[in-house]
Amino acid sequence: MLIVPWSLQVTSRAVFEPGADDGDEVYKVGTAFPLLQALQRVNKRLLEENPDESLLFDVVLITTNTQQQQRSSSIISSTRHYGLDVSRFCFSSEEDFVESLLKNNVQLFLSADRNEASQASQKGVLSALLDQHSASCPPEQLKVLFSGDAIIRPDTDPTPASRQGAQTFLAQLGEMRRRFGAFDSPLSIVLVTVTGGRESCGAALRTLRSHGVSVDEAYCLAGAPRAPILSLLRPHFLLSDGLGGLEE
Amino acid sequence: MSEIKPNDTAAAEDNGEETDWAAAKAFFDNLKTHKPRPPKPRFAVTIAVSSRTLFNMVAERKLYEEEGVEKYVAYQVEHENEPLKPGAAFPFVKALMNVNARLRELYPDSEELFDIVLMTNNHAQVGVRLINSINHYDLTIERFCMTGGKSPVGYLKAYMTNLYLSKDSEKVTEAIEEGIAAATMFMPDTETQLSDTQLRVAFDGDAVLFSDESEIIVKQHGLDTFFEHEKEFENKPLAQGPLKCFLEALGKLQRKFYAKNERMNCPIRTYLVTARSAASSGARVLKTLRSWGLEIDEALFLAGAPKGPLLQKIRPHIFFDDQMFHIEGAKELGTISAHVPYGIGQKYHKGKLIEQPAKKE
Repeated sequence: MLIVPWSLQVTSRAVFEPGADDGDEVYKVGTAFPLLQALQRVNKRLLEENPDESLLFDVVLITTNTQQQQRSSSIISSTRHYGLDVSRFCFSSEEDFVESLLKNNVQLFLSADRNEASQASQKGVLSALLDQHSASCPPEQLKVLFSGDAIIRPDTDPTPASRQGAQTFLAQLGEMRRRFGAFDSPLSIVLVTVTGGRESCGAALRTLRSHGVSVDEAYCLAGAPRAPILSLLRPHFLLSDGLGGLEE
Repeated sequence: MSEIKPNDTAAAEDNGEETDWAAAKAFFDNLKTHKPRPPKPRFAVTIAVSSRTLFNMVAERKLYEEEGVEKYVAYQVEHENEPLKPGAAFPFVKALMNVNARLRELYPDSEELFDIVLMTNNHAQVGVRLINSINHYDLTIERFCMTGGKSPVGYLKAYMTNLYLSKDSEKVTEAIEEGIAAATMFMPDTETQLSDTQLRVAFDGDAVLFSDESEIIVKQHGLDTFFEHEKEFENKPLAQGPLKCFLEALGKLQRKFYAKNERMNCPIRTYLVTARSAASSGARVLKTLRSWGLEIDEALFLAGAPKGPLLQKIRPHIFFDDQMFHIEGAKELGTISAHVPYGIGQKYHKGKLIEQPAKKE
């Protein structure tokens, strides 16, 4: 398996607050900001372990918002201002953005917009939704949250393209996690099973393991309220779509 | 101290919670194995147990301490198909399951049951062995929390815990400070044959069910002052202690059996085992329980005699006491004991003030 830099695309609307005042060169930070900081921290630690490391997070910022596109220099200078490591900026129209995702060979697409995430997912691009909780996530440790229920009993049948995308993603995420020890890792893989009980959670743990991902934290709710747990976990993003049907 | 469960039903009930609950209910009801469905947390008596109290992990713990976490996790993964042996809380958990079975017979639609949650800071990879072990003994534990190294205490409230049992006294102290009933469990030195039809829970009085206000008087002013004080304030209820709410939760479940004429056959029995004497200081304790609307099945006043032999006769599935001196005595004679690190008793050992070491930074 060839390990390549791991392309991750984030919408600029998620990184920066829309509608900055005219004349302001720098945007205010948005929902995905702590996520980018956490991603950077993982890259930094990966390079500390191995200066020749090639399996790193590669962040691409995509803007479909015409207003923001007109102020593209502000976006670019804002990223510089906050010290964000963005490798590429991509400006595209709302109709074509999925095409540009595919063209850019994106492995994971993150957006705060449910429609956008859903559109990308339907075309086979692994997507995750950022929510308002992402804004308060700690930047020290990147927390990737998997839904155990989606892994075991998917809501929709995955397309072959999205299944392939999911498997590649998992393999690479697992590989990246293995660069660090059991504790003090800048990356934590979390599994939450909301509906199912211990069998479901156990099965999800084994399924992820078979795809190369060693889960760090597991929470099985079996119908208990999820909000208190999620507010303690504070994951950066939750992967539930696109992982369906991993269990062969 | 914390209430049994949050009181505001209407306000707290939101659509998301109800949807999740309905989905879980449907999931369990459709399972071919007909496993009993876990109860709705809001109505259940939630008992959180750590991995080391549920299972005997003494050898594995030693490996962790001597060779570090990586070797420990690797060992657990390597042996994950070998079920762990039962730990100190295992008989207690089995007894809870039996009570649930009886409750389900009498009240098939009720959510007022015991809910057992595994609360551990173990890594999820170790969790696979824990899940396999739970499967091996067919324990009804459907909810768990494996925090991969972080303290699980924060999650106790999120899972609406009524009682937390752990081997780690620091976590237990933290939980008590958060208002959650908690105790550090100890394996007895000898094995005792316990009832498999009746859950038996024994409590010390002062600084466990009640506050440590009276114990302070004994330690600082002696027994005579204590007796005088208790007689004078016989009719003034004592303040509550960390385990009061747990006794209350047990009482609520007991009343469900009484309502169905099962008092003689009730699968829960509670005991008060106190060093107080019936003649001089016992009345205040009984009157306090009465003022709280709580019943205790047997009140045993030892007037200072050792608790070990009496507990040997009772054979509780768990015995709560705030003083290590009593815990050690009980342990020696085969009683499963749980230390409640609360109150003035922590500063003394066998009546003498312990020199406090400088606090760790």
